[in-house]
Amino acid sequence: MHSSTSNFDFQRVIPDLPWRQLVWTAALITAVATVAWEIRARSLGYAPTLNDTPDLWAQERAKVKPDSLVIVGDSRALFDSDLDAIEHGLGQRPVQLALVGSCAYPILADLVADEKFHGTVIVGLIPGLWLVPQGAPVNNSLTALKRYRSQTLAQRASHQLGMLLEDRIAFLQQEDLTLKQLLLRLPIANRPNALVPPRLPPYFYTLEHDRRARMFEPAAHPGPLQERIKSGWIPLFTPPPPPSFVPRDVFLKGVGAAIEQRFKDTADAVHKLRARGGKVVFVRFPNTGELKKLEDMATPRQGPWDRIIKESGAPGIYYSDYPELAGFDCPEWSHLSAADSVEFTKRLVPHLKAALGHKD
Amino acid sequence: MLFNSLTFVVFFVVVVGAYWLLQNWEARKNLLLVASYIFYGAWNPPFALLLFATTAADFYLGSRIAGATNPAARKGWMIASITSNLSMLGFFKYGNFLLANTQWLLAQAGIHYSPPHLDVFLPIGISFYTFHSLSYTLDVYRGVCTPTKSLRDFTLAVSFFPQLVAGPIVRAADFLPQLVSARTLKPGQFGWGLMLMSLGLFQKTVLADTMLASSADTIFGHGGPLQWLDAWAGVLAFAGQIFFDFAGYSTCAIGAALCLGFHLKDNFRFPYAAIGFSDFWRRWHISLSTFLRDFLYIPLGGNRLGTMRSAANLMIVMFIGGLWHGAAWTFVVWGVIHGGFLVIERLLEWFINKAQINRTRAVQFLVGVVTFVVVNFAWVFFRAADFTTAARLTRAMVGTFPAGDALLSMRELWQVGLVTAGLLFAHWRLRDTGLEAMVARQPRWLVTAAWTVMLCAILLTQDSGNAFIYFQF
Repeated sequence: MHSSTSNFDFQRVIPDLPWRQLVWTAALITAVATVAWEIRARSLGYAPTLNDTPDLWAQERAKVKPDSLVIVGDSRALFDSDLDAIEHGLGQRPVQLALVGSCAYPILADLVADEKFHGTVIVGLIPGLWLVPQGAPVNNSLTALKRYRSQTLAQRASHQLGMLLEDRIAFLQQEDLTLKQLLLRLPIANRPNALVPPRLPPYFYTLEHDRRARMFEPAAHPGPLQERIKSGWIPLFTPPPPPSFVPRDVFLKGVGAAIEQRFKDTADAVHKLRARGGKVVFVRFPNTGELKKLEDMATPRQGPWDRIIKESGAPGIYYSDYPELAGFDCPEWSHLSAADSVEFTKRLVPHLKAALGHKD
Repeated sequence: MLFNSLTFVVFFVVVVGAYWLLQNWEARKNLLLVASYIFYGAWNPPFALLLFATTAADFYLGSRIAGATNPAARKGWMIASITSNLSMLGFFKYGNFLLANTQWLLAQAGIHYSPPHLDVFLPIGISFYTFHSLSYTLDVYRGVCTPTKSLRDFTLAVSFFPQLVAGPIVRAADFLPQLVSARTLKPGQFGWGLMLMSLGLFQKTVLADTMLASSADTIFGHGGPLQWLDAWAGVLAFAGQIFFDFAGYSTCAIGAALCLGFHLKDNFRFPYAAIGFSDFWRRWHISLSTFLRDFLYIPLGGNRLGTMRSAANLMIVMFIGGLWHGAAWTFVVWGVIHGGFLVIERLLEWFINKAQINRTRAVQFLVGVVTFVVVNFAWVFFRAADFTTAARLTRAMVGTFPAGDALLSMRELWQVGLVTAGLLFAHWRLRDTGLEAMVARQPRWLVTAAWTVMLCAILLTQDSGNAFIYFQF
């Protein structure tokens, strides 16, 4: 009989090996391999930068005060907005909440649902992403919001420790150098007819602690990396085929209804925020090349953009309406280079001021 | 706090360092207690109070059981312990499930009832620590364990951080004796503990999360018919994922405990090489199956009251075992499938001498393959969000949809195939020996190389803390 005062007789077997020696040898080889991988990563052009994790987003979301200036949107709002230039122009440093590859509607809705919030929201709008009813773009926003709402002390601590390392180690690059990402690069031909989602473009930006993203130089100049990024956009911006198990007309009807609902929800959210003193301005950031052709064909400016502006009653800044904003080139068709993003934002600020009723 | 997080790395280094620096055993235990509550409270501090309340209640009830002089009083205090523990579990874990089922039942009787949705946050690991704590009063009642006089020791037994939130379910009767005198390290114990922690993290971050999780998620998240290859690949991916995830946690827990001088029993013993279902449950989540055996199956009469009663007892145990995993009927069906096959196996043993099954490796292997296949069909119900998905997937697995969708890339099929093949090979190779015996036979350079590969792969995953599947249970 076991007793709390008797001796417990179970002892695990310890394999008879010189464990002290094995521990140190394994640790030493692992350390050497890690240093070698770091050198290799740097030789490939990687540099230490933060990963855009839900924890980093949650950290920034927590900075939102009732009267904050907030940027929401997709990667264009993230890359093309220079926070310093906006702060200089509008007198308030924005909180950057735009997310790569996301539909930002849930994030706008979350801000609007916060009854205390009566600040200003700059909404970067790509209609094809904003109106998507479900799937990865919506999930990206929901994942970030979920982390913000349920972030634990342990997650916050891990995030702070993670940033310490990411600031110093180049191979800690979750979008490109994880084992999962490296496996994706294996040259294995796919099965015919397999409905495999398109791959995301490779890593091509750096991220600062306040989530200021900057395209890095190799992506801003013609070369293999830029070509890889470009080739990723067209499949990503092409709507996936309807599911095989739902009749096409039923599916399209469902999607149509969901998009209609998103138009309505967007207008309602803007009205609600404005009713309590908040401000919203929609911004269409530049795109170029084949991607612009595809987006203009799928979601022409006179379509979703005009409708959202009209129904919401919020001001909109469409880059091509203004010569000073229209002349920028997106090196990989979708985002501005780091240098151009500063200049673009400086030129955007007067339009933001006008739209938001700022007095000089 | 997750084992696969940077916070835990720092926490573990600090705790282990301070623990072995302290000379006084009582101080070490105090340190472990504080560390365990920090480990748990790092998720949600208020729930640490709930953990303590459960512990304190069972400490008190354990002393009352031991102190009661007549059997009725003993039984009454034991029932009070069961009631308080299961009420807590029921409220947090099964409240909405019970309300939804009540609503459905009343609707069948034509009564309209709209229960409020309880906005209850499930305390992490509640199913595990409830059983840790409950095992104490039940073992005191059974006379297997004399009650401890130290609330601190009992609190540490329930909350010992390596096994607190996802097992193994360590019984107080197995842990309290280890708190009597200062723990010491056998030669190599610390190194082997670190090796086990590395193996557990490798299983979780590399094999479960990196190699298998996305295939399982894709297949179980699909809303339409699938080709049989994709269906099987998705289910095999989940079979591997849940094993590596849960066994990985248990392996980490055993390793972490070893580093602190404690010895926890195995929770898995190469289950995918099980020959039959009773063998499977001797190898899968052993701490739960033995808990249910000792505290439910045997008190119900076990196999002492005839075949029919024994079969009914098995079904009850597996029904509850299914429900323990989650508040959904899909979990119950998973349990009932296992219960049904346990009963069938018991009945077959009437007609077939078990010695005949065990006579040849070929027959053993054949029974093992059948067991593995059925276990996989059962996993479909465990993982599927609803019965529609489960039904569609099981139909796809038997080739009902030749024109179904193909969702997995060739790379994903290779990943699932290779990992599954490696998993089955390892389980069949080790089922009769064990990890320790196998490692002890290997040359040093091979152990070092394997360890280094695991460490490098863990670093390469850059895992930022995916939760373990069993946390939700």
